[in-house]
Parts: sequence; C-alpha cells; structure tokens
Amino acid sequence: MIGYYFSLAMRSLRGTPILSALMVAAIAVGVGASMTVLTLNYMMSQNALSHKDEVLFAVQLDSWDPNASYRGDSNLTRMPWELTYRDAQALLRSDTPSRQVAMHRWGATVTVDDSEMRPFIGQTRVTTRDFFALFDVDFLHGGTWEKNADSNPAQQVVITRKTNEKLFGGENSVGETINMDGHPFTVIGVIENWNPVPKVHDLNNGAFDDSEAFYIPFGLHRKLEIFSWGNTNSWKHEEDLEGFEGFLQSESVWIQYWVELHTDEQKQRFENFLTSYIQEQKAQGRFERPLKFGLTQPSEWLVVNEVLRDDNRVLGWLSLAFLLVCVVNAVALLLAKFLRKAPEAGVRRALGASRNAIFTQHLIESVCIGILGGLMGILLSMFGLSAVKSLAMGFADRIAQMDWLMMLSAVGLAVVASLLAGLYPAWRISRTSPSIYLKTQ
Amino acid sequence: MLELRPILSALWRNKIAALLIAVQLALTLAIVGNSSIIVGDRLDKIARPTGIAVEDIIAVTYYPAEAGTDIVSMARADLDMLRAMPGVIDAVHSNHIPLSGSGSASDFYREPNQQIDDEVANVYHTGPEFLQTLGLKLVEGRNFTPADMETWNPNDRYHPKVTIVTKQFADIMFPEGNALGKFIYGGGDNPIEIIGIVERHLGAWTSWAKAGSVAFYPSFPKFTFGRYLIRTEPGKRDQVFKAIEERLAQLEPNRVIDMQTLSERLNKSYARENLMVKVLSAVIGMLTFIIALGIVGLTFFWINQRRKQIGVRRALGATRTNISRYFLVENCLIAGSGIAIGMAAAQIGNHFMVANYSQPALPLSVMLVCALMLLCVSLVAALVPALRAANISPATATRSV
Repeated sequence: MIGYYFSLAMRSLRGTPILSALMVAAIAVGVGASMTVLTLNYMMSQNALSHKDEVLFAVQLDSWDPNASYRGDSNLTRMPWELTYRDAQALLRSDTPSRQVAMHRWGATVTVDDSEMRPFIGQTRVTTRDFFALFDVDFLHGGTWEKNADSNPAQQVVITRKTNEKLFGGENSVGETINMDGHPFTVIGVIENWNPVPKVHDLNNGAFDDSEAFYIPFGLHRKLEIFSWGNTNSWKHEEDLEGFEGFLQSESVWIQYWVELHTDEQKQRFENFLTSYIQEQKAQGRFERPLKFGLTQPSEWLVVNEVLRDDNRVLGWLSLAFLLVCVVNAVALLLAKFLRKAPEAGVRRALGASRNAIFTQHLIESVCIGILGGLMGILLSMFGLSAVKSLAMGFADRIAQMDWLMMLSAVGLAVVASLLAGLYPAWRISRTSPSIYLKTQ
Repeated sequence: MLELRPILSALWRNKIAALLIAVQLALTLAIVGNSSIIVGDRLDKIARPTGIAVEDIIAVTYYPAEAGTDIVSMARADLDMLRAMPGVIDAVHSNHIPLSGSGSASDFYREPNQQIDDEVANVYHTGPEFLQTLGLKLVEGRNFTPADMETWNPNDRYHPKVTIVTKQFADIMFPEGNALGKFIYGGGDNPIEIIGIVERHLGAWTSWAKAGSVAFYPSFPKFTFGRYLIRTEPGKRDQVFKAIEERLAQLEPNRVIDMQTLSERLNKSYARENLMVKVLSAVIGMLTFIIALGIVGLTFFWINQRRKQIGVRRALGATRTNISRYFLVENCLIAGSGIAIGMAAAQIGNHFMVANYSQPALPLSVMLVCALMLLCVSLVAALVPALRAANISPATATRSV
C-alpha cells in the first residue's frame, strides 16, 4: 500500500510541477539555512576531551588585583584564565594529581642543518612532560622527555607526524637535530597529529586555531628567556623586579594549567592543597582577594570561555524561526495543492478508500516533498558552509564542514518539517465529503 | 466602497489559509526586524573611522633565524632600504600591527604611585615616522624626534619619557581638554609627558570596549622578532608588496618574513561582524522572497477557487478595477493583521535577545520601516494575481451554472 501511495505521490508531484517545485524549494531553503547555522554551532560545541571529561580539570587561582577586575569591567570576582609562573611551579611540586600540565604557546624560527628548506615559524607549545599522557596524544616514535626536563633546561623537542613529514620525509626522526631560533634541539618523539576543534586545552588565542606542531620542555624558560606567544596579563607595578627572572617572579599570568584527578578523594586532597597554598601565599602578602580557585571540567571550560558566542546562538534561533516560516509556507501551499485535488480524493472515497487511507496517502506525499527538500537542503547548506568559510577568513576553516550525522539530521529535519506541514492539509482533505464532488462529475 | 463586509465574511470561510499567511508575515517581521537591527549595528561598527590609511599600508613581521641577531641594526638597514624604494612613502618599525587583533595595553594613572582609578590604553612602540606612515593627523603638540628614540631590552624596565596619545585617550585622562604637556604615570613614579595628540587611531582590537584609546612611545624594544609598517603611494600597494618580499629576502635571507596588507588584517578583524551581516542579509532576502512566493501561490489558488463568483460579480456589473481592488484590500487586511502580530512578536524576540545575548535593542522606527516594507512586498505579491483575476470573463463563470 505504501508503495502505491509513493507512486501516487510522485505522479501528483509531476502533475503540478510549479507548485511542487515551490514547496520543495521552501523546505530546501529552510533546511539549508538552518543546517548551515546549526552545523557551525554543533561543530563549535564539540568537546575533544569528552572521554576524559570527568577526570580533567583546568586550574584557576585568583591572584588578581584586589582593586580592579580582570577584564576591566565591574566584576571583581572573575578569576584570571591563566596562572603566574611562580604559582605554576609551586603547583607542579604537588604529587596529588595523577598527571598535571603547565604550558603556554610559543613560536620560533625553525631550520634544519644541511637542508634546502627556507626557515619557517614553528608554532610551539612549552609544556611539562605529562602533556601527551594527560590529553591522550599517541606517540608514533620515541616518547616524552624526562621529569628532570620540566625544571632544568633540556633542548629536546617532540614534533607532530605532519611536521615530521615536512622536515624528515616521514622517517623515524628520533635523534635528529633541528634549530629553533638558532638553538639546537634533539627530536625525542613524534606524535600523531592532534588538533582538537575547538582547541579546548588553550582557548586564549582563537578557539579554532590549529594546535602546535612543536612541543618543548617547561624547564627552558630561564635559558632561552621564553616569553609567551599567547596572552600575558599583569596588574601589579613591580619596580623592584629586574630582568627575566623578575618577569618569572612577577604577578603576570601567562601559564595554562591542567590536572588529572581520578577520585573524589584525590580531588578533595588537591583542593586542600590549593587552599593551604593560597593561605600560605596570603601570609606573604600575595593573593589579596578572597580565597578562591577554580577546577573546571573541559565541557564546562568550553562554556565559561564562551567558545559558542552569543552571535552564534542568535543565528541558531533565527535560523530555526526561518525554518518555521518555511514550514508554515509549505502548509499553505500543500493546502492549496491538496484542495485542488479534492475531486480526486472524493472519487477515491466513493470507491471505498477510508479517511485514514486518504490521510496516509497525502501525508506520504508531503514526506516525499520533505525528502526531496532535505536532499536539496544538504546541497544548499554545503554551499552555505563554503560561503561561511570564505567570509570567516580562516577562523571557520575547521568548523564549516558537515559530517554524516549532520547530513542525516538535515534529511531528518526536512522530513519532520514536511510531516508537520502536511498534517493539517492531509487531515483537511481526508474530511471532505465525497458527495459534493461526485455531484458535479 | 471597500466592500469590507463581504471580504470579511469570505475571509471567515477561508480562515485557516488567511491565518497561515498572517502567521508567516508575523514571523517574518519578527525575524527581519531583529536581523536588520543586528545588521545595522555591525555595519556601524565596521564603518567606524580607523584614523589610519588602511588601503595603502603593508605590514611585515620578520623573525631572524640566528640566535643573538642584532635586531636594531637589522631594522635600520631594512628601513633605509624600504624608504628608498620607489612607490614607498614612508616606513616605520612597530611592536604590533594596528587593527590586527593582537597588541598590548597598559594601565595609566593621573598621579604617581596611584593604585586605583586606572585608565587602560593600547600601547605601541614606534618611531617618528609613524605619523606619516599610518597617515595619522596630529591635532596638537609635536611629533617624536630622533632624539626621543630609545632602544630597550624586554628584560629591562623601560621608562618612557614622552608619549603621543589619541584624542580619545587624552579626553579620558583629562576631561577638561588640556592634556597637552600634562604627565601620566604607569603605576610607578616615572612621569610620561604627553607631547602630542593625534585625532584618531582605532588601536589593535576592533571589538574592545575602549578601542581608540591608544598611546605611542618613541622606542625600539629588542625582541627576538620585529615588525615594520610600510605606506605606499595610492594604488601601488600590491606592486610594492612583491618587490618588498624579494628585497627583504635579498638583504638577509636567514630569516622568516611574514607579510600582509593592513586591509587584509582589518577584514580579518571584522570577519565575525562581516559574517553576521552577510548571513543575516541572506536570511532577510530569502525570507522575503519565500513569503512573496507563498502569497502569490495562495492568492492564485483563492482566485481559482472563486472564478465563478468573480464571473458572477463581473456579470452583475462590477468593473475590472473593483475585482482587483477586492483582492488587494483582502490581502491588505490579512497582511495588516499579520504585521500587527509580527510587531509584538518582534519586540518579544528582541527583548529575549537583548536580555540573553547582548544584542542591540529594536527601536520603534526600525520596526515600522520593516513593517512598511513587508506590507509593500505582500501588496506587490498580491498584485499580479489580482490583476489576473480582473481578466476573468463574465461568460466563463456563467457557463457552467
């Protein structure tokens, strides 16, 4: 029976090509527009650390100015996103967390001796050795540096698979040497490409930027006088601090900090550790604000960092409203189309078709329109996404793409929309009484 | 005259179809009203004057590959070469690229050793050529001179003696308007004299609440990398761009050179706003088109349904104008009520967006303009079917009775 209804539906669509095309176009445009925006929002809401969401925490300490807010507004309770170098060093001494990472973004010119390659800027992450284990980054060759390198200078570097292909043609490059800003570094590991979107582990400079290609130990700051290539914020005028060491001991915040805590008991112990650390620092005249720290899970970290911006949410709502207009439009057009065919339905009723049969038949016709509209909608939203990609000038390159789930959702959305649209018109035509149409035959 | 009674009773018989059109128009008005206010807001933001000759400027970032490179003499050689190039008006070093979204800022105070009531300004370390290179307008005081210039190591504390600030920042620090010659402080007791005021410079961050508060220092910080800004003669930017790339590489090949035009950087800074404008404009356009199609389709359908009645009316003496007018008035009634509901919906929607998503409020004037435009669209959409209806001949209608 369903097959028969489908063939009836296709015949009916062919019978009124213009009206049918209008309806398909209405659904397609509505689905295309809303799927474009919903795909962007969906991709922006991804959490690459969801599998470790329960055990990873971003650490914040409220070391900021007691007299001014962190963002220059009136909110005096907002904590800085990052930590000072000295606090990061102090936290690293705790052995409570299973793993912990202090890190920041950096960059250096990269050259390889006896190579034709032009020098280029290597986007680098300066980090402690647990980085790869904490974020579940797999090694292809070699491994991470020794614990010692987190506090003492060791010119070692871990590179990504892509960088390894670029520099060494994909060979196992462990033991090779590269120069960063002219200093020789020994390659000790090659990791799988790891590029989470959004860049959940460091949301400070562009949530959709690429992850770094080079990873170097945290013990190198003093030797190479490394300043962050991310955000450095300071509030205190510290005239007595001199040189690079003065910068390291200052109240400037520029280090991101993550810990891995597996049990509540472990978390409790770490919280106690932070509390006593802050109290100890308060006694020395630091941490002038009320005692406060933050341990935030990745999923929540993405929310508090406003990765999905207000503008994106507005677009989300507007696109759904747009789809609603398209559905109402389709209801009106379907009503017109079905009522025009009322005599046909009258004859079918007179020949014994039940009201249910007429209803189902017309509903199937609207689903056909929905499927066609959904397929066209996928094309439209792909077009929309490529337009977004070019308008965004880089920042949406990795989010403006549909996966299978979103394509299925597009068709699903179209079918639901057309079912909703078809409900009333199909009901209306199933209620028409056959007699009036038979009379005029 | 307008046959309101018969129109209303006919509408009552077709209430669902009429309601559908009214609902579409209401939703459309709510969306279009809120979208256009956001579009307007973003366009205003993009149209703000930058104070900078954006179209003619090239930004270069250079990173020496060798450790311990003397970056000051490298910059001196590069800048001499750049200034001598044909098509180049002037060039200057700068620690950051204006309008690029990346920069630094400092707190300033009116008294030495103050700790509260700071004012924030975006800060640039540059040289005397920056006025001409950026095309800034000095409205008061003097430019930096070579004698003001200082070089400093990022590990040493730099104590600026003089500064040039934007008018906006001068007015924030000294609201009485006599900022020239006054001293400002960076938290310690080092006085910084304001020796000049430039009309405008939007600064590094276009979305910053305090964009336009900028201070310039005559200095050269010796970081491991540096930046130049190069102003070209109008229209010669792209041609000079290629030449610069080659010449810089010739002068010192062992470094990374990254070049961009300032307009490219500015467009990137406004990419989100621009995206919002384009997406919402597309939504407004498509939506208007869709409801126009919907109205055309439904009016045709109605007229078809009522061919007979129209014929009878024509036979009984109604003129073509009467028939067309009937459908236009009918459309006006439906559209009018839809738009009235839509205005309420637009305000409710806007209230929600202002409260939750920090969007601009929808003023009555904008809403009325949107409503009027929508009414026109719906009338134009109804016009074609209404004129066609007038062509129905009395004979066709009476034939089958």
